[in-house]
Amino acid sequence: MLMFLIRRTLVLMVTLLVVSVLAFLIPYAGEGDPARKILRARVNDPALTQDQVNALTHELGLDRALHLQYFDWLKQTLTGDFGLSYTSRSPVGDLVLPALSVSITLALSALLLALVFALPLGIVAATRRGSKLDNAVTFVSQSAVSAPEYWIGPVLVLVFARYLGWLPSGGWNGIAYIVMPATALALRPLGYFTQVTRAAMSEVLAAPYITAARSRGLSFPRTLLRHGMRNSMLPVMTLFSFWFAGLMGGSVVIEVIFNIPGMGRLLYTSVVNNDIPVIQGGMMWILTLAVVVNTATDLLYGVLNPAIRVSHA
Amino acid sequence: MPSLTAPPPTTQEPWRRVGPPSHRPNIFASMVRGLGGRHWTFKVGAVLLTVILLVLVLTPWIAPHDPAAQDLSNRLAGPSAEHWFGTDHLGRDVLSRLMWGGRFSVTIAAITLTICAVCGTILGALAARRGGWIDELVMRTVDVLVCFPDVVVALFLIALFGTGYGTLIAALTITGWTPFARLMRGLALEINAKEYIEAAEILGSPKWFILFRHVIPNALRPVAAMSFLRFGHKLITVGALSYLGLGVQPPDSDWGKMLLDAQPYMERAPWVGILAGAAIFVTALSVTMIGQGIDLSKPRTTRATTPDGKGTPSHVPPAAISDSEAL
Repeated sequence: MLMFLIRRTLVLMVTLLVVSVLAFLIPYAGEGDPARKILRARVNDPALTQDQVNALTHELGLDRALHLQYFDWLKQTLTGDFGLSYTSRSPVGDLVLPALSVSITLALSALLLALVFALPLGIVAATRRGSKLDNAVTFVSQSAVSAPEYWIGPVLVLVFARYLGWLPSGGWNGIAYIVMPATALALRPLGYFTQVTRAAMSEVLAAPYITAARSRGLSFPRTLLRHGMRNSMLPVMTLFSFWFAGLMGGSVVIEVIFNIPGMGRLLYTSVVNNDIPVIQGGMMWILTLAVVVNTATDLLYGVLNPAIRVSHA
Repeated sequence: MPSLTAPPPTTQEPWRRVGPPSHRPNIFASMVRGLGGRHWTFKVGAVLLTVILLVLVLTPWIAPHDPAAQDLSNRLAGPSAEHWFGTDHLGRDVLSRLMWGGRFSVTIAAITLTICAVCGTILGALAARRGGWIDELVMRTVDVLVCFPDVVVALFLIALFGTGYGTLIAALTITGWTPFARLMRGLALEINAKEYIEAAEILGSPKWFILFRHVIPNALRPVAAMSFLRFGHKLITVGALSYLGLGVQPPDSDWGKMLLDAQPYMERAPWVGILAGAAIFVTALSVTMIGQGIDLSKPRTTRATTPDGKGTPSHVPPAAISDSEAL
């Protein structure tokens, strides 16, 4: 377990290093003077004369070797200082954190919604394998997996916001604003959760201890709850955290469609506007968090699953 | 010129002698035979995909209109005999645009998928065969890349290199090869323990020969299933990037771009957007059905163990999670 922890921490550090080097290089890619691009993130006055640029370039050490600049930059970023956004002129941290909380709320609502439908579907399919119902569930899950959210989203808006007028078409002002984006976002995870639940449950139901429990006189629903659920939930949990790590960075498309001030839209607008400090900060935050969440899940998985716990010891 | 009665050359290495040609495994034939032909989702998906691919291949000959021909007097017209799927905001024929756009979507998805499948399979097999630091390096890289959201990685690369097909394919490849590597490594570890690998080693087969002749061909079935499943996923991601205006660049157009263009007219002419999305959906669904069909129908060896000779034995869990696990 300790070895596992050390290894994963090492991986995390290397990842951060690679991501940070790439993020650092963004001002140097593309057209234009990198020093000017960097200064724009550091100095409040956007209209600088060439003399001022030269002076500041020297003052901030932007004329030194690239690797020295990188270490300076890394020191700054590790304290959470990515500079000022080009467009809003506010520090990147002040933009990222609220956006992150919005995206996490949306991701959790979507994934819980997916879970609420996927678990019963998967379990029912697993208990009646090969039946018409099982085939129907298989087809539904395959359709859900194949439905692009940028297709479902606009169609939902058309029906529920434009024609029926039940829900707001975009924005982020309370529970009514979560319903449609969460539904559109839930569809694909729903399909995957259903498939995994079905597979895991089928496997568990074929295990000898289920037969043993049934022959001891335990009713089928109780067997399902007590033995089935408990033993089939691990793969579902892994998938859940996997999706959570991905969606925490925001579903770019859904947030753009529904005009939600989350991480995905922040990143998208920053790339479109070439708002370099926000891109750097956003990428570092999201990719780091994604790796951290997945590492944590792997650890948790190891703690919860005795078979893995033993093999890692 | 050698005489016809001359004995066959004896310089061949012993490991190359794998029996008469008739006994040599025909990888391609066995793959086709071994695919999940019996499962209903496979059949339905295969029919759908065949129709779609046929239409896309034949587009230059069967498209009813020029996809770029504008007719501003006939904008956003509903379906008619002249324009089966109506016209878009510039009066262009939606059906023709769907056909031409589909060629882009499907080609880009297919190119990235091929790169991902080949790289992932080889790296995964290599990791399992060689072990040690190669294994560690490959699998730890997979651990990291697997949790990077692909659209975010694409945005990152676009920030670095700008938009373009190269960036698009690179972004989708970086995040896309990992499930193949994970799958292949698991399969290769199983195959490593088989007697025929030991036999091949005793015969002195070089490492590359064992890898490409024994390990990878014997894992092709699950890899094929994964390829189909991932194809749908790639198609949706390519569409997403085009929808954001970061994928296919004008004047080219694909299904995602069409959906984007149709967005402002969603209320007046909903069919344009709905049909473009439906095209992505149906294509993704067809490959998903094929992939799962392959996964859900067991290979013959296992199937033979069921008493009635059909259906999967109840104790064998379906491998449907292989994709979702790594998604």
